[in-house]
Amino acid sequence: MKRFISTALVRGLFWQFIGTLAGAGLVTGIRAAMGLSITDQFFFTEPAWVLGGFFGVLFFLAGNGSVSDWFKWARGIETHDHHADAPGWEKYLNVSLDHKVIGVQYTITALALIGIGGTFALIFRTELAQSGLQYLTTTFKVFGQTGPQFYNTLMSLHGMIMIVSILLGIAGIINYVVPLLLGAQDMAFPRLNAFSYWIAVPAAVLLLMSMVLGGFDTGWTGYPPLSARAPVGVQMFFMGVFTAGWSSILGALNLIATVLRMRSKGMTAFRLPIFVWAAIATSIIALTATQLIGLSFQLVMFQRLFGMGFFDPAKGGNPILFQHLFWFYSHPAVYVFVLPGLGVISELLPVFVRKPLFGYKFVAMSSLGIALVGFLVWAHHMFTSGMNEYLRVPFMYSTMLVAVPTGVKFFSWVATLWKGKIITPTPMLFVLGGIVVFLLGGLSGPPNATVSTDLHLQDTYWIVGHFHDTIFGGFVFPFFAAIYYWFPKATGRRMNETLGKIHFWMMTPSFFVLTLFMMRVGLLGMRRRIADYDAALGFDTYHLIMTIAGFLIAISVCIFLYNFFTSIRKGEKAEGNLWNSRSPEWQVPSPMPAHNYDQPFEVVGEPYDYGLEGSKYVEFAKNK
Amino acid sequence: MSHTMDKSSALGQGVLVFIYLAVLTALEFLVAVSFAAVSILVVVALVKAGLVAYYYMHIYRLNEEHEGGRDSYEYKTGTNRLGLWLFLLSDSFVFGGLLVTRINLLGLTRPGLNQMLGLGVTSVLLLSSFFMNRGETSMANGDRKGFLVNTILTFFLGLGFLIGVVAVEWPMAAHEGLTASSGAMGAVFYMMTGMHAFHVFTGLILLLLVWNKGRKGLYTAEQHWGVEAAAVYWHFVDLVWIFFYPALYLIGKLV
Repeated sequence: MKRFISTALVRGLFWQFIGTLAGAGLVTGIRAAMGLSITDQFFFTEPAWVLGGFFGVLFFLAGNGSVSDWFKWARGIETHDHHADAPGWEKYLNVSLDHKVIGVQYTITALALIGIGGTFALIFRTELAQSGLQYLTTTFKVFGQTGPQFYNTLMSLHGMIMIVSILLGIAGIINYVVPLLLGAQDMAFPRLNAFSYWIAVPAAVLLLMSMVLGGFDTGWTGYPPLSARAPVGVQMFFMGVFTAGWSSILGALNLIATVLRMRSKGMTAFRLPIFVWAAIATSIIALTATQLIGLSFQLVMFQRLFGMGFFDPAKGGNPILFQHLFWFYSHPAVYVFVLPGLGVISELLPVFVRKPLFGYKFVAMSSLGIALVGFLVWAHHMFTSGMNEYLRVPFMYSTMLVAVPTGVKFFSWVATLWKGKIITPTPMLFVLGGIVVFLLGGLSGPPNATVSTDLHLQDTYWIVGHFHDTIFGGFVFPFFAAIYYWFPKATGRRMNETLGKIHFWMMTPSFFVLTLFMMRVGLLGMRRRIADYDAALGFDTYHLIMTIAGFLIAISVCIFLYNFFTSIRKGEKAEGNLWNSRSPEWQVPSPMPAHNYDQPFEVVGEPYDYGLEGSKYVEFAKNK
Repeated sequence: MSHTMDKSSALGQGVLVFIYLAVLTALEFLVAVSFAAVSILVVVALVKAGLVAYYYMHIYRLNEEHEGGRDSYEYKTGTNRLGLWLFLLSDSFVFGGLLVTRINLLGLTRPGLNQMLGLGVTSVLLLSSFFMNRGETSMANGDRKGFLVNTILTFFLGLGFLIGVVAVEWPMAAHEGLTASSGAMGAVFYMMTGMHAFHVFTGLILLLLVWNKGRKGLYTAEQHWGVEAAAVYWHFVDLVWIFFYPALYLIGKLV
């Protein structure tokens, strides 16, 4: 217990608490001196909570030691480059510079947030099981909110908590795997890497704080004018997203620098593992576009705090401008979520098909293509917003254009599967599941991209179904596949196959039922984001089935979590090249040594030439 | 440093680039007061930005090849340089977003600000960029004293800019009725200048840090990445103002 309390995580949270009080107290003191009101519904006033939230993040980072090396550098004190972490679980709760430890930290945090966001979903899904309000009623009171208000808060937070968990999940896989694939000792900037992880922790705390400070009823998009009037919780939400955004930006910066500067000998652009291409594409978006969601939220924060009328028509502002700034990130963001997942599919498929990846160069370029076209499509979220009508058609066509590079990926996957010797251990099941689910997500996309149909589909459950299909296919399934696949690399043990298969066969059909019924009720007129619907619409049975399917998914994820945590200690030993892969990380024993490869390797062939006799991808140096 | 020039030619280049930038700024101002030609102002700003990015920020150094191994100072500096430029690319999206906000909300109108003060602070920032360049090239030539003098000059000019904007321009604008809550015009003005001033402020902290480390003798002609990083960041702040100055002071009609 004492060892737990002295970890960087606990110290950080303690200092975040102190920082929040310090910031809020400072503003309260100034307000008292100015003769302004000093308390409000949630004890402190809104400006006090905002500075408190901001100070909390700064105190967290200063208090847990993730910036101490930089402070030393600023004073001219040198620090050691590589520390080997002491063995044991503590290193995962402390500031470590090892990319493998940081990768695991990211992944576990992502799983924790998936658990929280999923629980939120189950709560409001249960409310929707029947028309009328059952338990989130107007007399229900929690955190200063009535039942329907709390529904709105949970629904909004489900969105953003899941988005942050996805960002952390992809960062986890990228952090763990990319340096190993490149043959690098670590990321280019190990301290920045640790910082990027640790700044995400106070961000998650801020997001959850929004729930207890009155919540907010804007949905995850936070559009003004609604967000300009929402309770103080929306400020915490904005700050949480802003802070998590820095995690994403700096992680992307680090990844690009790592790939450009840390590759081993012979690893030319078109001999890069395909997952690295996907990581580069995703990082280009995360590095640049993320600033725009940060800016848009910051502008609303300032509008609330200082009365700056950016989005207030009464002051000459323009609410549509917010939507442009917001979607400039938030649409490409979905490519940030899915590109690494699609990269995982392309990376694992040849291993389990024992055949070369079809059209390597086209797949590599398709990731970049999706990323670049992704910058030109944002306004398809705004067809009904009242923006200039002539903008609709160009954005419709640019959106349709995304289908071309995505189609290239599907073509490659199908051609890779064609006549392959397919084996289906758990990771491969999730790869195949991901392909099928993402296909459903892709096919349900063009109706929303087409102006004439989107005018009817906008804001219905159809969109909810479409979105969940793309994200499950593009992130959740590949994420599970990646965990099952690289788990032995990290631990030296494999996860239980039976439980893994139960997980897959329970989750996949339930998920199809869930999203197909979502689309069904959407087409019949069910609006999204509402706590109640009219019984006369006849949706009750559909919603009941969806709720049951949702719980089945939750149970399957619980099975996964049980499997994950028990296999760390009790799983079957798997120290060799378990999947018979050509990739360099599987040519050395598991778990991975602290400083990665003892001997450097050289790339001497194509990465995915499975089944071709005498072909080699990497060659390790013979002597030290 | 493979690209170090000898002392006199570095000074010559610094002075020449400064004169170009000063003439272009004067031209900008004259174009704006005599006839409102947005396209000319945009072109002039782009030319100035190009000059700063090439001659002061040395963007071409991203392409330098390094002879040393992966663990050499040169190779690591190359990686750091790439990291810094990626950060600046990311940061420029914030400023780009603010420019979009300004264009969307204000269009071809502008706030009524004190033109002489605007030209004054712009000149001060430009001059600070010149001294920053002198400081960096001094260090690259091993002239520690020159580095210290020029860096502290940059610091005080930068401080002068910050005071000019936040402590003089803001109260004057507020006195004229342009406050943060007065409308979209005020919101845009305070947000753009405030975001830029925040970056100037962080740049000043970096300048103090490298000045202090230089004073302790921790930089040499070969190894002074910290100086280069602070200098590039400082020039970036100047580069942003190259666009913000015309956007706030010169483009559009008064309302």
